[in-house]
Amino acid sequence: MGRWTRREDERLLTGRGRYVADMAVPGCLDAVFVRSDVAHGVLRTVDCSAARRVAGVAEVWSATDLSELPACRQAAADLQDLPPVPHTLLARLSTEEAVVGREWPVLVKDRVRYPGEAVAVVVGEDRYRAEDGAAEVTFEIEALPAVVKPAAAAEDSVRLFEGLSNVAFQGVAGEPMEESVWQGAAAVVEARYRQQLLMPTPMECRTILAVPEGDRLTVWCGHQMPHRLRRELATLLGWSLDRIRVVVPDTGGAFGSKSAAFPEFVAVVFLALTLRRPVRWIEDRLESMLTATRGRGQDQRVRLAADADGHLLAYELTIDADVGAYPHLGVGLPMQTAWMAPGPYRTPRVHATVRSVLTNTMVTYPYRGAGRPEATIALERSMDALARRLRIDPVELRRRNFIPPESFPYRTPTGREYDSGDYAAALDLALETLGYADWRAEQARRRGDSGALPLGIGLSCYVERSGGEPGGLHEFAAVEAHEDGTVIARCGAAPSGQGHETTFPALVAKTLGVDEARVRLVEGDTDELPEGLGSFASRSAQVAGAALQHACGLLIDEARGCAARLWGVPVAEVAWSDGAVSPASGGSAMGLAELVKVTGPLRVDDRFESGMGFPFGAHAAVVEVDPELGTVQVLRVVAVDDCGVVLNPGVVAGQAFGSAVQGIGQALYEGVPFDENGVPQLANGLLDYLVPTATEIPPITVKDTCTPSPSTPLGAKGAGESGCIGTPAAIVNAVADALQLADADLLQMPLTPDVVWRAARAPKLRESA
Amino acid sequence: MKPAGFDYAVPRTVPETLDALADTARDIKVLAGGQSLILEMHLQRIQPDLVVDINRVTELDRLSVNDGTVEVGALIRHGAFESPQAVPGPLGTLFSRAVVNIAHPPIRVRGTMVGSLAWAHPASEWCAIATALDADILLQGPDGTRQVPASDWFRGPLRTARRPGELITSVRFPLLGADSGVGFIEHRRTHFCFAQVAVAAALTVRGRVIDEARIGLVNCADRPVRAHAAAQALTGADVGSLGTDHRLPDGHPFLRAGRIAAEQDAAPLAEPYADLEYRRHAIAVLVGRTLRQAAEGVPQ
Repeated sequence: MGRWTRREDERLLTGRGRYVADMAVPGCLDAVFVRSDVAHGVLRTVDCSAARRVAGVAEVWSATDLSELPACRQAAADLQDLPPVPHTLLARLSTEEAVVGREWPVLVKDRVRYPGEAVAVVVGEDRYRAEDGAAEVTFEIEALPAVVKPAAAAEDSVRLFEGLSNVAFQGVAGEPMEESVWQGAAAVVEARYRQQLLMPTPMECRTILAVPEGDRLTVWCGHQMPHRLRRELATLLGWSLDRIRVVVPDTGGAFGSKSAAFPEFVAVVFLALTLRRPVRWIEDRLESMLTATRGRGQDQRVRLAADADGHLLAYELTIDADVGAYPHLGVGLPMQTAWMAPGPYRTPRVHATVRSVLTNTMVTYPYRGAGRPEATIALERSMDALARRLRIDPVELRRRNFIPPESFPYRTPTGREYDSGDYAAALDLALETLGYADWRAEQARRRGDSGALPLGIGLSCYVERSGGEPGGLHEFAAVEAHEDGTVIARCGAAPSGQGHETTFPALVAKTLGVDEARVRLVEGDTDELPEGLGSFASRSAQVAGAALQHACGLLIDEARGCAARLWGVPVAEVAWSDGAVSPASGGSAMGLAELVKVTGPLRVDDRFESGMGFPFGAHAAVVEVDPELGTVQVLRVVAVDDCGVVLNPGVVAGQAFGSAVQGIGQALYEGVPFDENGVPQLANGLLDYLVPTATEIPPITVKDTCTPSPSTPLGAKGAGESGCIGTPAAIVNAVADALQLADADLLQMPLTPDVVWRAARAPKLRESA
Repeated sequence: MKPAGFDYAVPRTVPETLDALADTARDIKVLAGGQSLILEMHLQRIQPDLVVDINRVTELDRLSVNDGTVEVGALIRHGAFESPQAVPGPLGTLFSRAVVNIAHPPIRVRGTMVGSLAWAHPASEWCAIATALDADILLQGPDGTRQVPASDWFRGPLRTARRPGELITSVRFPLLGADSGVGFIEHRRTHFCFAQVAVAAALTVRGRVIDEARIGLVNCADRPVRAHAAAQALTGADVGSLGTDHRLPDGHPFLRAGRIAAEQDAAPLAEPYADLEYRRHAIAVLVGRTLRQAAEGVPQ
């Protein structure tokens, strides 16, 4: 492949990628949404009349206008009104109970529940004209008090839905504990952690282009789950699945945030069918800042108890989750945190409770890590606090508590069954790579030198879950062999930057024993694949890879059967190697292409299910803190991850590096500040929401250990989210270590200079009683 | 994020530019590098009737040194100052230390120093330097040419003394003597974002005694600030020992100057992630550190 690491890189890095916004469709209209500038209120009036007179504006609607439309021409007869936004039961992200009585309208009907919620939509000849139109729409909202903190919202003094509590979901993992557990322990750490709201911030924001063609509709969309989008749209329209084609072209990142049917998507599809014209919506960065789904958003309380030797006795995690204004997409997401609360330790008693609370913010939804960063950060910060309390080295404390390699499969008190692991091996490699002892010596030297900047070392050991939840652990794959020697592999995963075009053909070629260059991958088109799940939960190699390998096995069986019939011998007497069949008794081999010339095209497909994987790792960070200004300089990050068997080391290392950078973002930079009215202070886009840029990225060393997963045929576990999960606590622990804080609660992410400066002035560990 | 409609003019000379700017009933904006203007137009916070693009007015693309001053034309890009040799003496050093804090290299290829002075953002590095070092802003307009001292130029956030129909043709700085030491330190959350605080300083020292201190504060008020009170407190002070620690020795005059700058000269506003208490503290720390950097640069 020459100078390119991945097949897709030449196209993507030379500007020849083709994204939804690059699709040139004659007569296409651009949709622009007019958005609420308040967080919570009653929508009194929307006036679109001036906007309709703007040159180049085709149509303008509020929710009221749309409900007065005559029945859709040529569309389903019952499609008179904008359908509401669908909810999802996938991975238990939402529940039927949570959405009862809580409709999420596509355009605000009477109540605005989050800033940026759309009150009208304008379609114009292009985005410029549509924005000119949007600027002319006027509306009045009678503001209501906004609630943005989950604990305050849970009091129900301000309700988002009349007659219903803001608490939309409650869940529990593990068994509750009696107070004597805590009273009898030698040490109990209690702490509160804020897992701030984050924005996934893909390079490409959300995109959709809906093109009506005869009685069908083609939807081009940057999306992680095209078959889900097809199914949800078909359900909304009352259509059969085969009337909708969803195609995912090149997509500039997703990180979890592109897998639903969002209000804007529903509106665009509805308008395309109503107008019988192509309509697209290309979200811009400012819209994305207000209305893209957010990640994290938990207020946590923890209790961690140990005996005098540092053996963990009990762990309790209480979560107030901020799930945003509607329960449709992520009300159950915090359960990921609860289920993964035990981490890599054999704590005998673990109890985690979740209260998911509606707030006047855009909806919380999976963002790279999706519940596991929150679990890891809470536990690993508490482990460091416990180590300080017991005066045990944090390395030693972890070693004493790791689930040992011989204990797998290991069932946690929260009901997870970990597949495999060697947690100590990952930590050992991280310490060796970092030069742990040398940094501790440097830290001691600096502590003796009042003129030196304090230095801190932080560790974070994690175990996470990959592949998906039960019911979502399968994938569809098909392989066909053609006369010209081409092998076409089809797979239901839809990539948004993960390198499938490189990894999967290599896997197919290796499994079949054919030339990699002859294997072509087809993904992300529902007309090409009868079914598929998508790319999420770090499942590409583990689940989709296994499905492809399984399909290759079926193709080999099929080829052997054809050869047996051709040669008039039992199948058992047909051997397969290096892409060719041959008589087991000896004789010349027949290549797959040759065979296909005789027998006709060979095509196999199947749905294949894997088990859940539990990747793990150990991350370490060294930071230098300037206590006068509160700035944190990250000197070194080491990320050791174990995702089982690696299919493509370059792709996995890229995932580890990129996710570590996003993890640093959560630790130090990213957050959504709200003004007193509950509106995010993000008017300057990425000047207000700071992601790490090249200048901020420290030296990051990525290494791996390999503990194969027994629950999937390839032995691969997920590799896509490791840094978001493992890195933040390493950074925060390093800062706490540098400052020797008595009260670790003072360090709440993001560790901005003002936060660190205040913490640096607080009493030190040695000064406290 | 698309601009509202606007007219567009591309003059070739200063007189043509002045003609284009003449209809003062219209909202007219001058486009040089577009570093801020284009962004603000996309955000529709600025919706000019007419944009006058001066990029082909070649006479504005001039950097000249004469009579102890440097004159920077309206088309001189930020990037020109990345080399400390671009401007003679310590002023060139100061410019080169400041300019790397302005956005990223691709933006420094387009954005201009004069554009920064015209835009007058409180967080602009050049605006604080111009204020600290007695620069003059040179304008041409319907009534001829005039010059405005930087001390009288900035009238508030994004507000200047420029009159309708006027074009800023250049800014003129007095060069700093070879016996000056300069410092520039910026504090911000990531390289991408605006400064929370930055400080520019120039010191002249005789023996170990401070003869003159000039201090400019970035993003410490609704406009660039010259820290007169802090400077006055330093005049005649003994630089003494600077030590080698990351902190100045207790009681050092630079620490006191920092506190005076923060309490008396600055008028900071609260921002997300920087309340007033933190901002005043950071100003004091940064002033002290920048003065130290300047003192360390004074030729012995």
